Amino acid sequence: MEKSKPYPQLIATGLLSGALYLLLYLYEREIMQAFTRTDGWYPALPIVTAFAFSMAHGAFTAYFWDVLGVRAKK
Amino acid sequence: MEHTAIQFIDLQYGSVLSLLVIGFVGGVVSGFIGSGGAFVLTPAMMSLGVPGVVAVASNMCHKFPKALVGAWKRHQFGQVDIKLGLWMAASAAVGVWIGADIQRGIREAYGEAGSNLYVSTAFVVVLTVVGLFVLLDALRTIRAGGVEQEKASRLARWVQSVEIPGTMIHFKTANTRVSALFTVPLGFATGMLAATIAVGGFIGVPGMIYVLGAPALVASATELVLAFVMGLGGSINYALHGLVDIRLALILLAASLFGVQLGAIGTTYVRPHVIKLVMAAIMLIVAVSRGLMLPVYLTQLGHAGVSEATMSMLSRASMVFLVLALCTGGLIILMAMFKGRGLAAAPGTREETAD
Repeated sequence: MEKSKPYPQLIATGLLSGALYLLLYLYEREIMQAFTRTDGWYPALPIVTAFAFSMAHGAFTAYFWDVLGVRAKK
Repeated sequence: MEHTAIQFIDLQYGSVLSLLVIGFVGGVVSGFIGSGGAFVLTPAMMSLGVPGVVAVASNMCHKFPKALVGAWKRHQFGQVDIKLGLWMAASAAVGVWIGADIQRGIREAYGEAGSNLYVSTAFVVVLTVVGLFVLLDALRTIRAGGVEQEKASRLARWVQSVEIPGTMIHFKTANTRVSALFTVPLGFATGMLAATIAVGGFIGVPGMIYVLGAPALVASATELVLAFVMGLGGSINYALHGLVDIRLALILLAASLFGVQLGAIGTTYVRPHVIKLVMAAIMLIVAVSRGLMLPVYLTQLGHAGVSEATMSMLSRASMVFLVLALCTGGLIILMAMFKGRGLAAAPGTREETAD
């Protein structure tokens, strides 16, 4: 039987990923100022952000191919 | 303290678009062969006006999340040997450290052109030798009809037969039992290469296949673990110096995560020799690209007399070959994948296409 397509998951992760990218676009200047600071815990910002995007956007891209029917061969 | 010495560029739509395209193809390639993309992305960013060190830092900060997503995907397919990846990564870290020291030494002694000459020579020599070896192996399999069972090389069989008490490690997914005295130098060489030419996978993946006897699928998937660990370490180091342009890293990720998923899925549709073929094609074309730059660096060092016009032509041709390498890899992968999907969908051919 054909597996049902994960549309709700695609939409949820898509919105999350889109929101993260929108924040990056809207607060570009502030983000660049904070993320290139070398004092305190500021250097952790790019690393944590990269992880966060990889989770949200990584999940979205996985659902994206799944919905398109591009799935791994069993 | 804020970092003020480094200039971060203003992003234009055109540059964003080109980063997205290269990011996507680089993602496909790295999801498929375990590494790739970095050799094009860094020079591509530099050609957009990003300072070299920021390009390297941002590329690295994009590489580790991409490798994480790719490794996770391929782990779901049962292709990743985490233990082998961590052993290799630990020894690669030492290699990166020493490799970076050698780089610094050469730059101090011979300047920027000397350092570039060293890097390009390493590129040409390593990629030509290893690339030809991998290509010949892939062609042998294709000539045999592409159906032969993947066997460990003669060297790998010897390595597996060497019993050194107290150093033997069993790698379950890679289905090999070898002494740490072989895995550690291999990881070290991968790290050295990563520090020198930014793509350790060109040694790591063939090394795991031909020296340790891991299947091509497992070697390329395990390389993603190495890429993650080394990329994360490198990114932390660059972030501590305020050199990561997070916008560039995230723009690259936007496209490369689509690519890495596709490349990882692609590995389930193709035979192992396709992975070797893609790797060899990319390595050899990149070797040509760097080879074209040798006269330029030799001239800058005063050992050759190439005119300004020729140098600029060679630099452009070199960049074209880099992009060509990536596109060739991406194209072979997508074609093999469509062919594999077509065969898998056709009734009655399911058995023959199973790897």
